[in-house]
Amino acid sequence: MLASLPDSAWDRTKAGQLIQRAAFGGTPQEIDQLAGMKPGEAADFILGPEKPEALTPPPNVLKPGLTEQQRFLRKKLRLLPPKERESKGSELGRAVRAEQDRRLTEIRGWWLDRMAQPAMAAREKLVLFLHGHFATSAEKVRNPIMLFRQNQLFREKAYGRWHDLVLAVAKDPAMLIYLDGSKNRAGAPNENFARELFELFTLGVGNYTEQDIQESARAFAGWTVGWPRKPGEPEDQENTPPEFIDRKNWHDIKSKKIFGKRGSFDGEDVVRIALSQPAAPRWITRKLWRFYTGWFPEEPLQTELAEEWTRLEGRMGLFLRAMWTHPAFYDPQHAEDRVKSPTEWLVGLCRQLGTPLPAPALASNMLAELGQKLLEPPNVKGWDGGITWINTSTLSKRYEYTSWVVSGTRGMQKLAGMDLGRLAIESGLREIPAPMIMDPAAVPVAGTTEISKKDEKLQAARKARTLLALSPAPVEKLVEPGDRQNPDRLLARLSERFLFGLTIPEDIRRKLLEGFPAVSPLTDAAIRKLVLGLTQSPFYQVT
Amino acid sequence: MHSSPELKTRREFLRTGLLGGSLCWTLPAFLSRTMESLHAQADGSLVQGVTGKDGNILVVLQLAGGNDGLNTVIPVGNDNYIKARPKIAIRDKSALLLDPKIGLHPALTGLYGAFQEGHLAVVQAVGYPNPNRSHFRSTEIWATATDENQSSTTGWIGRYFDNACQGCDATVGIALAGQTPQAFAAAMPKGVLYQGGWSGAGKKRREEASLQLEADGSMMSEDDDGDGPSGGSIGEIAGSGNKGKMSSLDFLERTDMDAKVSQQEIAKAASRAKNLVQYPGSRLGQNFASVARLIAGGMPTRVYYISQGGYDTHVDQAGAHERLLREMGDAVASFLGDLKAQGNLGRVSLMTFSEFGRRLKENASGGTDHGAAAPLFLAGGAVHAGLHGKMPSLAKKDLNDGDVQFNVDFRSVYATVLEKHLGVKSTPILGRSFPILGAYG
Repeated sequence: MLASLPDSAWDRTKAGQLIQRAAFGGTPQEIDQLAGMKPGEAADFILGPEKPEALTPPPNVLKPGLTEQQRFLRKKLRLLPPKERESKGSELGRAVRAEQDRRLTEIRGWWLDRMAQPAMAAREKLVLFLHGHFATSAEKVRNPIMLFRQNQLFREKAYGRWHDLVLAVAKDPAMLIYLDGSKNRAGAPNENFARELFELFTLGVGNYTEQDIQESARAFAGWTVGWPRKPGEPEDQENTPPEFIDRKNWHDIKSKKIFGKRGSFDGEDVVRIALSQPAAPRWITRKLWRFYTGWFPEEPLQTELAEEWTRLEGRMGLFLRAMWTHPAFYDPQHAEDRVKSPTEWLVGLCRQLGTPLPAPALASNMLAELGQKLLEPPNVKGWDGGITWINTSTLSKRYEYTSWVVSGTRGMQKLAGMDLGRLAIESGLREIPAPMIMDPAAVPVAGTTEISKKDEKLQAARKARTLLALSPAPVEKLVEPGDRQNPDRLLARLSERFLFGLTIPEDIRRKLLEGFPAVSPLTDAAIRKLVLGLTQSPFYQVT
Repeated sequence: MHSSPELKTRREFLRTGLLGGSLCWTLPAFLSRTMESLHAQADGSLVQGVTGKDGNILVVLQLAGGNDGLNTVIPVGNDNYIKARPKIAIRDKSALLLDPKIGLHPALTGLYGAFQEGHLAVVQAVGYPNPNRSHFRSTEIWATATDENQSSTTGWIGRYFDNACQGCDATVGIALAGQTPQAFAAAMPKGVLYQGGWSGAGKKRREEASLQLEADGSMMSEDDDGDGPSGGSIGEIAGSGNKGKMSSLDFLERTDMDAKVSQQEIAKAASRAKNLVQYPGSRLGQNFASVARLIAGGMPTRVYYISQGGYDTHVDQAGAHERLLREMGDAVASFLGDLKAQGNLGRVSLMTFSEFGRRLKENASGGTDHGAAAPLFLAGGAVHAGLHGKMPSLAKKDLNDGDVQFNVDFRSVYATVLEKHLGVKSTPILGRSFPILGAYG
């Protein structure tokens, strides 16, 4: 059994740390509530139920792959002479990608919205971990519904057994496409998935051989994707998403030697054998500990964590609870070692301010600029996390976006770094431009179409600027009556919310309050300035 | 509660560090040196004062994902090569010949021009013993310049900064990437990120586009030049961070300060100069254009780092690889032309690298799997143009588990660049001495 925190050691600071690390942060009221519980109760409260509640998927994700207009244009395309068909075809391809991007944006917004809901936050935090762990990118997979289904798979299996999740991921269509498993068949093995399964998903470098990879790849042969079809109808690859199929005639039934065992293994055997390696519990617990605390466990903690994982038979929910109630989870030495990911930063800031998240297109582009484009991790290793979130460019942008969220963007001529044209399309404020495919007989009217197209673009960009603009955060909710008359009290109130009740030293306090009117009461603008002083800081980036 | 240790640490931090806000507080002491050096340069003498070897600049171009060396520098007419690659071999006639038996991929016309002008050196069969076929591990080996079975928390360029550029400000290294490269990791972290040309978010857009709402609408997404070449599962590979022995908070403080002092300087330098040639519209082309402007604008930067992703060509390689190489060769050609027009070609060297090459034998999906040794390029006015090292034998007995064996240790290339181009001793940086190649002078 892992050591656990005695009730007497539980306090408000730890409660604040827990809600920030395990979920997406909270308000002083939520922290008070947690602080009033016992540590185990607080962990259970944050975790929520074993299974997620039924959910409503984002509305457009389940629609057929092509829009009606795009399908219509596709038919027309076939009538064109070959050369024109090619150029119009690639125009149509861009339109299809734009539609996919729009749906991906919708999924991102839907997901962010769940993260911001207290009852769902811890599960969604784990889904975010799993998304980085089993990194799969829309850049290769493209099809939004496959990525949505994978995301939902994480959510449903999040608190269950690790083995079940790994096996489900090995059969997940998005993963099969991302790591080329769908092309893996007897006689033509593709090693990509087997390699990453061992290197990144279950064991880590040094705990398998090249032979283990090669022979395991053969064992996975035949796990591929296919399109369901009704009897007598052809496959409809454009409008239905592919599903997992086990193609028996692709199996490699010959004997394989994997981790010293010989047999006619299949994919399920490989997952089972890999997870029974001694390195397996160490690998996943190490990554989980680092994700939630910001530091890598050293001995003897690492061994204790691995043993606890084995004892709990890899049940994630139980392990998280054990981790969150472990004294080392709150080690003061590491109280400032964990850098907030962009997603955690944005959701947390909005939660603490009590302000709504930016619109999906804006929010997801902000996160992309900060280095975390959801559903498009940079590579199969996911995001490296920790201080790699921070560099001169991303930190400056965090500060800039902090001011957008706190002070609003109204009146700004442009949103620096944001492509308003793309935002307009991604948020549905502008139609996706479709290629003009005309009847060869029709005579185009010179000039007019180009001009109106340009005009329309510009209007859409202006519309995006207006409709996506952020309002100043409603700071009146952050303060109590009387705070405005007393700058000291106001600063204490705000730092409690944003910096966990830290008492600010006198010299710093004076500097923060410098230049504020001696005559009360303090205006909303003055309050926002103080909030910015606290949040546009290196300190606010760590937990 | 207020006396608990974590609060004490936080308070200490607050005292020195909560500077990021709109409210400007006192400077942390350890940063004052940076500021002093900046003030010293504020009179406009930012233009690199040093000349000769000290003023030389290295530009590192990472080809992330594992570039197929055999289809980049082609063993023309080699039977083993053609037999192993029935679908994707580059046939003799199309290769751009460097000598009768060795040619560049036909898409590399840009590099071929540089070769003809005497500005391109090809180092063949570069690698290291016991090659690792993991993207991440092998990238790390190249970044840290360690043996395959060792690890290091610092990168080779970071150690160069530590050894040769103490007291330099952070802009001694500039990466045009989404993340600080692992090669920059140092005991005293240096190096900043610059995303002038293109956004780090991976979408394709020119810097002007997002700036001018009232312009001709070029910021619209349908004007993108299409998605880049297929990235496979490997886009950009960066590293595991750059903080050396600092705590996360120290690192943040420092980055905070670097950001404030460097971004403006960089933007100023970039706007001070103009590109003298046309660059391709690709992200890579625009990144090279930015570097050329920063060089002309007089940044005191010694190492620039650029990355091009997408080389993990497991599936349907031919078209994707051709696009990648064309994009690379064209961008490099513009860059060299620009440097020449500026008069800076002699003091700038470009070095390419990729974490590994690919298998000799193509796979069943018209692609290639992870391999071992591969050629790399050195380009610039000072390189000794031509072929260096030997084209590796592709006979079965000479392969290592189906892969090309290395002839030149990659650290020999680093040692050569450090000693002959950057003018520093390589042993303290690389841990031991490696043979110097004849690629310069």
